[in-house]
Amino acid sequence: MSTLLEKHIVELLQERNDKAISLLYDNYGDTLLGVAKKVVRSDDLAQDVLQESFVKIWKKADSYDPSKAKLFTWLFRITRNTAIDKLRSVNAKTDKEIQMDVSDVYTIGVESTRPELMDVQEHLDKIEDKYRIVLDALFFQGMTQQEASDELDIPLGTIKSRLKIGLRELRKIYGPALVALLLNLL
Amino acid sequence: MIEKIKIFLDSDILERCLLGDTTEMETLQAERYITMYPEVGKVYNELQENLETYAKLHAVQTPDGLKEKILSRIRSEKVGRKKFFRYAMAASFIAAMFAIASFFFWDQNQSLQEENTMVSNKIKLLEDNMKQQLEDVRNQFIVLNNPQTKKYNVSGNTKAKELKAVAYINPVKKLSYINVKKLPHLPEDQCFQMWAEVNGEMLNLGILEQATGSDNLMALPYAKNAVGYITIEPEGGNENPTVENIVANISY
Repeated sequence: MSTLLEKHIVELLQERNDKAISLLYDNYGDTLLGVAKKVVRSDDLAQDVLQESFVKIWKKADSYDPSKAKLFTWLFRITRNTAIDKLRSVNAKTDKEIQMDVSDVYTIGVESTRPELMDVQEHLDKIEDKYRIVLDALFFQGMTQQEASDELDIPLGTIKSRLKIGLRELRKIYGPALVALLLNLL
Repeated sequence: MIEKIKIFLDSDILERCLLGDTTEMETLQAERYITMYPEVGKVYNELQENLETYAKLHAVQTPDGLKEKILSRIRSEKVGRKKFFRYAMAASFIAAMFAIASFFFWDQNQSLQEENTMVSNKIKLLEDNMKQQLEDVRNQFIVLNNPQTKKYNVSGNTKAKELKAVAYINPVKKLSYINVKKLPHLPEDQCFQMWAEVNGEMLNLGILEQATGSDNLMALPYAKNAVGYITIEPEGGNENPTVENIVANISY
């Protein structure tokens, strides 16, 4: 997203102008719904999560500090945490344990995928599940590398190397500039 | 790269900070590193960009109508907030009025209580005074009407020939009074003072006022073989009687 638009949205948010929500929805709605769905694994629940997340975004607008995080990072945190809370409350109700079921979690239904994202889906499919599991565990499930290692029953060294390779795969698809820097982290 | 930066980057604090999963201490540490070391700031920015890109890969098309639902919820939040502020303002106003009224009544209550104490004290004083006077009048009545009461006419000696007084002594009731009828005129710097010698002790009974025209009985402390004296003393009275200035004495 352009910094200019981001700035504009932040200004509208701080002015308590609901146009900000409309713009956020148009620019981030799909991505945030995707984040919610990755966590809760249900279309209906994900939509509930998105609604609740937008209400929180609106209510917490004053607490956003552009100097500390990019707008998307802030939106992502709120949505992800709302989704995790939702999942916990649903699980508490149904008394079911959260399962890390790879095949359920990482398949995106064709009917809910935007046509323009179809090629993205293809690209994603190119990344082997074992790499995506690690990326998703870290980005979407909020696990540390150690937690991912424990949860997935994979040695920590393997987590690190799969993360590196997974990001390398991403780089192949989206160009070196995007991913190379992530590698610096590892 | 400084060793501690490398250690910091090797830890997963930055990743957890990205997701908001850090403790307060870790957040502060991460913010400090991001601000102080450009290389950490750069890594953090890249991490944020990568998160956004990776999340976008999983975007799911939002269904029709969801945007309207969300916007209508936001609008109702806005109205609710406005209503809340309106109620909050009304409540604050009422609370402020209540506080002012409470203070006013409290203040009133305090003043009334003070006044009440003052009035009670005054009443008590008056009551005591009245009792004292009543007792005095009763005693005077007893003395004056009792057949056993002896009446003594007191005259002044050569220093105060004009002095006339009547003493009433009742040995049964053990009461004694003196009525000073007439006092000679004295210079302004002198006055008459009454004393009583009771059981060998000299008691000061106070200064005698010039005759006011009405008969005033003055109580004398009673004792067997007591002696009353009237002396001329400097203005304002004296602590001990000036013996050479005795103008009258009453033995009773």
